[in-house]
Amino acid sequence: MNKFFFCLLLISTFSVCAQDMDSIMQNLDSGAEREFVQATFKSPRLVLLQTNETQNKGDLAFWIGHRFGDIGGEFGGSHTLFGLDVATDLYIGFDYGITDRMTIGVGRSKFNESYNLLAKYKLLRQHEFMPVSVTLFGQSNWITRKAFNNNEFPSQNDRTSHFFQATVAKKFSPSFSLMLSPGYLFRAQPQDPQEMQNLFSVGIGGRLKIYKRFSLIADYTLVNGLGRSKDLNTEYYNPLGIGLEIETGGHVFSLNFQNSSYIIENNFIPNTQKSWEDGGVRFGFAISRNFNLAGR
Amino acid sequence: MKHLNIMFLVLLSLFISPKILAQEIYQTNQVITTFFSTTPIEDIKAVSNSGASILNTETGEILFQIRTRSFQFRKALMQEHFNENYLESEKHPFSSFKGRILDKINFGKDGEYQVKCSGNLIIHGVGRKREILLTIQVKNGQISIKSQFDVACKDHDIKIPKILWENIAEVISVEVNVNYQKLTNE
Repeated sequence: MNKFFFCLLLISTFSVCAQDMDSIMQNLDSGAEREFVQATFKSPRLVLLQTNETQNKGDLAFWIGHRFGDIGGEFGGSHTLFGLDVATDLYIGFDYGITDRMTIGVGRSKFNESYNLLAKYKLLRQHEFMPVSVTLFGQSNWITRKAFNNNEFPSQNDRTSHFFQATVAKKFSPSFSLMLSPGYLFRAQPQDPQEMQNLFSVGIGGRLKIYKRFSLIADYTLVNGLGRSKDLNTEYYNPLGIGLEIETGGHVFSLNFQNSSYIIENNFIPNTQKSWEDGGVRFGFAISRNFNLAGR
Repeated sequence: MKHLNIMFLVLLSLFISPKILAQEIYQTNQVITTFFSTTPIEDIKAVSNSGASILNTETGEILFQIRTRSFQFRKALMQEHFNENYLESEKHPFSSFKGRILDKINFGKDGEYQVKCSGNLIIHGVGRKREILLTIQVKNGQISIKSQFDVACKDHDIKIPKILWENIAEVISVEVNVNYQKLTNE
């Protein structure tokens, strides 16, 4: 009897000891720093839309985008090798991280021979107690091509457009993220004279990791029905892009299909005249390369 | 009488054992862990200085727990890839070691001791039985431990894509530095 209790006593002492070690470990770790959710998206751009991601401090990203011609329809088919003969838009740009939250960038588009400046700021970052990330984005575009007629651009100001967007993003799991991006575009002189200067948009986008470095990406931008005039002579469509994103170290490649011919928001939000239904879909790709300029 | 004896023992254990145990436990949450990946093309180094460790000098038990996210790299993008693609820190937030010092040493006596320690090393959620050499230094009641060991990526199911084989070493060298504080009774 006595021995039995003595054994019990020994065992209980040992278990107290084991518990102690683990609970001490828990106490030790409770002082961990706040960890922000990282890599909600792998690239500053999804297919068409900007994501909530910015560059890290001192990082420079070189981004090249390409949009081919229509796969089908009047302008596609075998005559243009399903659009591969045509480049509807090309974009070359640099983004630089001033801080971990603030990025500025500059770029040039083939469409309208335009130059753009952009700024992106991470307002909120998702963490344990913050359910979403919010990033503000602003972009001004300047058309430099010759005017098609004398009164197309009466002043330099008429060549400009300005786009503002707030991106609300959430990483639900390591392999699934979603974003919602309300936007507002102001064009000093819309290319379509029937159109108003103000245009509103709502973008939705997502990323689904299908294999370690491969993700399916898609985004859709609602433009029609948000106060845009309904009786325009030209038919405009909502841009939809679907793609495959491949990550290899410092590079991110994106292979995609979309009905928009143009790359930056100031161009594709107002000017998407092609539709997925009538062969207006095109192939496109993007390459981003990251350079670390300032060693931390 | 028998009952009284047992009662006495139980009471004794309640009062004394926590005190004794507390006196034998050393702890810190400032473990410095450094790892190096060396290839002809690229040298990669990362440091964590907020690992937790507990040492029980009576039983020789030793515990380590390091947050994967606490490793700092020179390049932020590399740090992101380390967490996202290699260690998958959202699935496996910690690396840990739970083991026991095999050689008996006198922690009350100043000196430097080379000891073997055996236990389970968990990285990327994959555990491996390891024997690791430790250098324990005791000086004026202060205990510090230094250790250097290698970790093979494939032992812990850490996959390196073929195109990056030249940039990331298959065997990573790890250095650990610990200065313990005695756990005091409050």
